[in-house]
Amino acid sequence: MEPMTEGGAELPQGAYLASLAGFSRMTTKRLSSVLAHLEPRDAFAAAVGDVRPPPDIAALLAKDPELAAAWRADKSARDPARCWSQCLETGVSVLSRLDERYPAQLLDDPAAPPVLFACGDLGALDARRVGIVGTRNATQRGRETAAQFGYELASHGIVVVSGLAKGIDGAAHRGALAAESSRPVAIVGNGPDQPYPKQHAALWAAVCERGVVLSEWPPGTPPDAFRFPLRNRILAALVEVLVVVESRERGGSLITAREAADRGVDIFAVPGPVDSRASAGTNQLLCDGAAPAPNVDELLMALGLDNRRAGRSRVDLRPLPHGGAADIVRLCREQARTIEQLSLLAGLDLGEAAMGLARLEHQGWLRETGGWFETIDVWGDLG
Amino acid sequence: MFASISSAVLIGAVGQPITVEVHVGKGLPAFNIVGLPDESIREARDRVRAAVLSSGQDWPRQRVTISLAPSQERKTGSGFDLAIAVGVLVATEVLTRESVEGLAFIGELGLDGSVRPVRGVAPMVGTLGESDVVVPVESAPEARVVALGKVRLVRKLSELVDVLGLQMPWPDHEPSARPILVAPVADMSEVHGQPLARLALEIAAAGGHHTLFVGPPGSGKTMLASRLPGLLPPLERDRALEVTMVHSAAGIQLPATGLVDRSPFRAPHHTSSMVSVIGGGSNVVRPGEVSLAHCGVLFLDEIAEFPASVLDALRQPLEEGVVRVGRAKVNVDLPADFLLVAAMNPCPCGGGGGGPGDCVCADSALQRYSRRISGPIVDRFDLRVPVMRPAIDELLATEPNESTVVVAARVAAARLAAELRQGSLNRSIRVRDLDVVAPLDSDARAVLRRELESDRLSGRGYHRVRRVARTIADLRDPGASSVAERDVALALEMRTGLRRTFRVGRAA
Repeated sequence: MEPMTEGGAELPQGAYLASLAGFSRMTTKRLSSVLAHLEPRDAFAAAVGDVRPPPDIAALLAKDPELAAAWRADKSARDPARCWSQCLETGVSVLSRLDERYPAQLLDDPAAPPVLFACGDLGALDARRVGIVGTRNATQRGRETAAQFGYELASHGIVVVSGLAKGIDGAAHRGALAAESSRPVAIVGNGPDQPYPKQHAALWAAVCERGVVLSEWPPGTPPDAFRFPLRNRILAALVEVLVVVESRERGGSLITAREAADRGVDIFAVPGPVDSRASAGTNQLLCDGAAPAPNVDELLMALGLDNRRAGRSRVDLRPLPHGGAADIVRLCREQARTIEQLSLLAGLDLGEAAMGLARLEHQGWLRETGGWFETIDVWGDLG
Repeated sequence: MFASISSAVLIGAVGQPITVEVHVGKGLPAFNIVGLPDESIREARDRVRAAVLSSGQDWPRQRVTISLAPSQERKTGSGFDLAIAVGVLVATEVLTRESVEGLAFIGELGLDGSVRPVRGVAPMVGTLGESDVVVPVESAPEARVVALGKVRLVRKLSELVDVLGLQMPWPDHEPSARPILVAPVADMSEVHGQPLARLALEIAAAGGHHTLFVGPPGSGKTMLASRLPGLLPPLERDRALEVTMVHSAAGIQLPATGLVDRSPFRAPHHTSSMVSVIGGGSNVVRPGEVSLAHCGVLFLDEIAEFPASVLDALRQPLEEGVVRVGRAKVNVDLPADFLLVAAMNPCPCGGGGGGPGDCVCADSALQRYSRRISGPIVDRFDLRVPVMRPAIDELLATEPNESTVVVAARVAAARLAAELRQGSLNRSIRVRDLDVVAPLDSDARAVLRRELESDRLSGRGYHRVRRVARTIADLRDPGASSVAERDVALALEMRTGLRRTFRVGRAA
């Protein structure tokens, strides 16, 4: 019997795709083989055991009896009608590889997701695309750099692709959104309807509105740790140039870089201080042959665009510090400083140093994290 | 056939006079103790009988009844042994009633008749007032510190019988000089670098402000905290007596003089139980670490590892300076007016090298970690100081820093200024007195207004910052009448600096 919607109309194929993609222990590979030779509706029926499965699905289920049982239970747990109404409610479109809106860049990819869920306008992917990625635990300077790159690239009409994570990713998108008529693209590791991390809810909504948020997981999928490395390959496959702003010696952004290198994407890394842990991974990338990206011009050249700066640089409205305050800002610009180092280097006692720091922090020149003071540049409010 | 002997019992950390009444009369030979004794007192029957026999005296073949009056109070401990033995000897007319007049007896008996020390001699002697006391030799120092009458020392019951029987004068025992276990107080000059943390210690000592050190492992948080007692002034006699009473009641070793005149430093391990930190026990209420740190420093290393229940139980003593321990059979107030110093890592991974971007903790782990210390406890810390690992140059520096003596002099001057101004530590300035005793100059007021407007400082934090700023001003110049901008800026830095470490709302 065909499942029917309330109105009696037959459910679209997308409903079955949305249901199947969220099955327990579903992987890209399993989903690909389930959908390999069948229409989604028939694939669903086969996967839950309503009809006799074709040989490749049967092999899959025979290998793992627990999986077969879990999928049988998913028949009601992932009811296609409910999955479909969830997609409709959250405004998420479901794209199979046959869909004409499915990103062309992914069609030839060896690990392309068989189904994509998109929130926003996929037309954004038609422009030139640069990926900006980096650590979640970034320094103030790293976030500012990401925001600046995001803004300047977006001002050139280039689409900024990132992951909407904390730190570098978020800063890149905030920078991109600050440019007029930019269309940012985000590849996320959970359902495209669920902002994660929570503090990025507004940013997430803005990206959905102006660009698009893409995921291979259906609406309602929680942000499990294992999903994030997987999304990196999609990001890598979608960009023409990838820049890693800050990364530890191990980290998700290095996985993205490796995936990108496998696909022949140009990789750039922002050079950082040799003693900064947040730049250990990017500096290693440079050693391994990535191109340095001290500014956006290099990225533009890699895209074959000239380096004329189309975007105006931002105007700094902050009162210029002078005297001892200027010293403090200069010292903090060199590297993050503690109040003790500042009092020693600037020749101030702790009281004077605290006074100067409080004023500068209030004027927006400095920001404190765990006792370390870092300068905020003109991109600071986006970082 | 009746005798009445003075003694005392320990309840919590205070003594209470007890009259030990002994009746030896007709009836089958028996030995009973009444007056709500606990198991340790009931066992006194066997100890006392053996001790009397070992001392060459006869045990009456009659009915012996002991009453501990007032009888409605529950009593505990082995300190009545000596009084019971003397009572029996008076009742059997081995000793005269006159010989024990004006004397009180405290001490435990061994089976061989030796007199042994008990804990809590100081508070017990203190409660006995003018009467002369007979105590074990080992308890001499603490008894002498508090006694108003004469302190008589005995080693053996037989010796006491001879003295009271006028066979010999009071013996002239001196307790053997014990090795001094108190480690010499560590000196501030050994701390290399760390100017901010050093200053925080000075402020904490001067104003009594509770302090939290946050820094990666190996940055010297524990070393810093252990220097704090040296900065506190010696205890005045009244306070020293209070501390001595508590330490005596807890049975921990007292200094050779018997009087605890230095601020104690207590550092319980984070696995310590609620009872050991707060005080209590099922029948016998013992002072906890908070009471042992009375008038001194309670140092909680790795505060985030302490059970939340223990930390939350600290709130009441922090507020009132007293712990109220209630049990079914007994309610006791224990003094607990301490300076709280705590140390913790910035995050579970220890913060890597300590710089921004060095931490490798997952968000969820960070959140769990910062939730371990509840907001109300974090709020109690007026000073929250980041401690960084000192640079290698600083560690190798040969030039010594300011020594404890120099810093302690400034602390003493600041404490005196506070005492003369408002009669209390700056920590306890009442909110309504702040404008009088800690007026702000206009720049300082502007700084605070700015912080309040930008929502980085809460209303409660505002008052706390003002108190700390008052202390900083006192240290800068004990005669300073008002609080300047730099004082407030420094106080703010120490209050709000780590607000991102504790995600306890936005404002500090």
